[in-house]
Amino acid sequence: MKKRKHDGIRGFLPVRAAKSWLAGDAFVKLTPLLWGVGYIRRRQFVKGFLAILFEVVVVMFSISYGFPNIAKFGTLGTVRRETVYNPATMKNEVNQYDNSFLILLFGLVGLIVLAVAVIILMRIVAEARELQQKSEQGAHISTFREDIRELLNQKFHITLLSLPSLGIIVFTIIPLIFMILVAFTNYDQQHMAPTELFTWVGLDNFKRLFNNSLSETFGYSFGKVLGWTLVWAFFATFTCYFGGIALSLMINNKRTRVKKLWRTLFVICIAVPQFVSLLLVRNFFADTGIVNTFCSNVGITDFLKSIGLVGAYLDHIPFLTEAGWAKFMIILINFWIGVPYLMLIATGVLMNIPTEYYESAKIDGANALQTFNRITMPFMLSVTGPYLITSFIANINNFNVIYLLTQDVYFTMDTKLAASNAKDIDLLVTWLYRLTNDYYNYKMASVIGILVFIVCAVFTLLAFNYTFRKGREGRFQ
Amino acid sequence: MKKLAAILMALMLVLSLCACSGGTTDTTTTESTTETETTEATTETTEIPDISLTLWGSELTDFQDAFRVMCDNFIEAYADEANITIEIGAQSEATAKDTVLTDISAAADVFYYADDQNVELVAAGALQPVESADAITEANGGSDAGAIQAATVNGTLYGYPAMGGNGYFLYYDKAYVTDEQAGSWAGLLEAANAAGKEVTMQLNNGWYLHGFFKGAGYACSLADDAATTTCDWNTAGGTDVAQAILDIAADPGFINLDDAAFVTGVQEGTVIAGINGSWNAGAVQEAWGDDYACAKLPTYTLNGEEVQMGSFDGYKLVGVNAYSENVGWAMRLAEWLTNEDNQIYLYEATSGSAVPSNVNAAASESVQANPVVAALATQSQYASAQSLSVGGNYWTPTETLGNILANGNPDGTDLQQLLDETVAGVTAAVG
Repeated sequence: MKKRKHDGIRGFLPVRAAKSWLAGDAFVKLTPLLWGVGYIRRRQFVKGFLAILFEVVVVMFSISYGFPNIAKFGTLGTVRRETVYNPATMKNEVNQYDNSFLILLFGLVGLIVLAVAVIILMRIVAEARELQQKSEQGAHISTFREDIRELLNQKFHITLLSLPSLGIIVFTIIPLIFMILVAFTNYDQQHMAPTELFTWVGLDNFKRLFNNSLSETFGYSFGKVLGWTLVWAFFATFTCYFGGIALSLMINNKRTRVKKLWRTLFVICIAVPQFVSLLLVRNFFADTGIVNTFCSNVGITDFLKSIGLVGAYLDHIPFLTEAGWAKFMIILINFWIGVPYLMLIATGVLMNIPTEYYESAKIDGANALQTFNRITMPFMLSVTGPYLITSFIANINNFNVIYLLTQDVYFTMDTKLAASNAKDIDLLVTWLYRLTNDYYNYKMASVIGILVFIVCAVFTLLAFNYTFRKGREGRFQ
Repeated sequence: MKKLAAILMALMLVLSLCACSGGTTDTTTTESTTETETTEATTETTEIPDISLTLWGSELTDFQDAFRVMCDNFIEAYADEANITIEIGAQSEATAKDTVLTDISAAADVFYYADDQNVELVAAGALQPVESADAITEANGGSDAGAIQAATVNGTLYGYPAMGGNGYFLYYDKAYVTDEQAGSWAGLLEAANAAGKEVTMQLNNGWYLHGFFKGAGYACSLADDAATTTCDWNTAGGTDVAQAILDIAADPGFINLDDAAFVTGVQEGTVIAGINGSWNAGAVQEAWGDDYACAKLPTYTLNGEEVQMGSFDGYKLVGVNAYSENVGWAMRLAEWLTNEDNQIYLYEATSGSAVPSNVNAAASESVQANPVVAALATQSQYASAQSLSVGGNYWTPTETLGNILANGNPDGTDLQQLLDETVAGVTAAVG
């Protein structure tokens, strides 16, 4: 019975706080006004002082930044920036204008600070009531020193995780919510803060994804780009995966000599920064690049023309300038760049397959294909399953390969894609980049960002659910 | 002990996060402290205010050196009014808009930019209207002059014209192309085919592509909101222009090359003529030597008749940041950099790259002797100011149209449909 009391009233925090406040004495009742008063009454002076200090900080922040911005949060500001040049002072005189961007940001921060403060206040009220009960029962009330010691022992997880949690809120949660909010505003080139105001538009931006007219082609473009993104992610992941396994099997084959040399040669590819390789390769495969000159001199260009792979109209192979060719080349070049990594991973995994399996398979008379299908692949898949999923997701967002290979080189021939500034070879993420960086279309980029998140989340959940289904992990044995 | 280590690690994690985002703030604080120190030191000796300005201009060494000289002269000229320090940053005119709009309040007080960015910079409120608009207009040839129109939005002058000659014209190699042949596409292609060489222009770029439609009397113009574009390329007869471009592109003597490939082609000797801008004049002249020549754009055959190609006029302007702390001094600096003497100085310091926009400066002998200037001057009667013609949505759709035409319309799309779709993209609402 006594033990339970020490743990305080259990239950949902707001209910617990409300019950504590109703049941508490005058000091508990006063706590929401002066947060530390409950502590101080029970002679926990340091804690009480800290609580009051925290209250003062929250109140000051809310008065100076929080409330003014939260008040304008509904409209995101109404006063446009106006300047008048004053020749006498040689300076611009600026009115008290609203900066929609800052209102959105500080409004959001203000709301989060308020939410956190309310949660902490509820805990304080509940704790004040606990202290009151303890003192009424004559139980021991911990000193500040004892509290600190407790934080280092029984409650060490709180000590350890409070700073990282704060970091996650400030650097991840707030920017994320901010970006999501932008999708519901008209923040674009015509509404750029601080000069212009932007405001809430509800779901209008999402509706544009389903509109499809001659001049309003976001829906069409989104479908096309999403389709290619998934095709790309599939091929980029699996070509590298199986290519890497094949390569490492070849290198690890008993009959292969100087294994270390081959392995080193492939690892050297990794040592060259990816963007350098990609930009160089882009120049190699340019319409007037070295590969085209070679192909044209040797006659490959003419051969490809005769079988119809290159338009009769062209005098070069449009490696990176025609949709079909460019998609093929991008996957091929990605294969070349990605295989060494997979080779290393596969080598590591293959070396860990116990040789007994192969020996007993040999005794049972299994051929090479059978051992590969029944032993090597299941083992590989069970170990690298999570890697495959993360790599698929990473490829959905693989900005480098696509952007560096096609920027300034690829021009779309699809007028509808062009009207929404997309290209055939764009991934959602490169399209998003172009929309923000070149066209300042933050609202649509934000919408696309949310959809990318949904796509990635769905695939991750499906794939992990499948891979880690109960009992699957040990299945291959 | 383990716990202590764990706490330290958690702390480091948070601190490293802070360090990542806080890096820039740190440097600014140190800068501002040093600035305040110098302020205190100088106020003791003089009563004049301290003004510090930042100037962004071309990253090329010639330009940077010239900027320093002009700025030093400016500081000296106003030494009795203010204690000025000017920091010069390298920021290409071509991409000034992107950097400025990333954070207007952190951008330079004064910056050079190409006139195609004028509309968007004004829309974002980045540009301070020119205080001495009348004098600037007068010096650049009046309100109808291309340079002034390029810097004007809705009747307000926002930029100080600094350089002209940012348009395009024809370069040709006299060893292969006669002056007469250079007058028409038919002649150019004839010369190219005779020599087994190529003539080029970049069709998949709306900037160049515009020349064909403009020449045939079609027009794009900026709507009153200074953002959307109106365009009549898909009206009656537009398909004939598209067909004429297809015919040129189909000729074996024609090749569609971008800016860098044009220079490479000229240097390797495969390109004997091409439509390009003044910024490549040095490289082309070096490659062709005495056979180097420039002319207005050629005519092309439209429905059996020869039509003169139009073009975009291009200018480089100096803008004053509307968010500048010292906007008055920034305007004085912008005016100083673009006055007659300094335009001639910059032209000479950059071996002719910076063609003056100022009427008197442009009339000077050394400028008039430049073949590029002569070619552009002849072409200018067929040109229109880009910043008055097109908004942000012009570029991608026309780039695509040009690409389809350059590739010979591989899907065989109906030309009228092609133009309709292009115009729909160009005229779509911005945002």
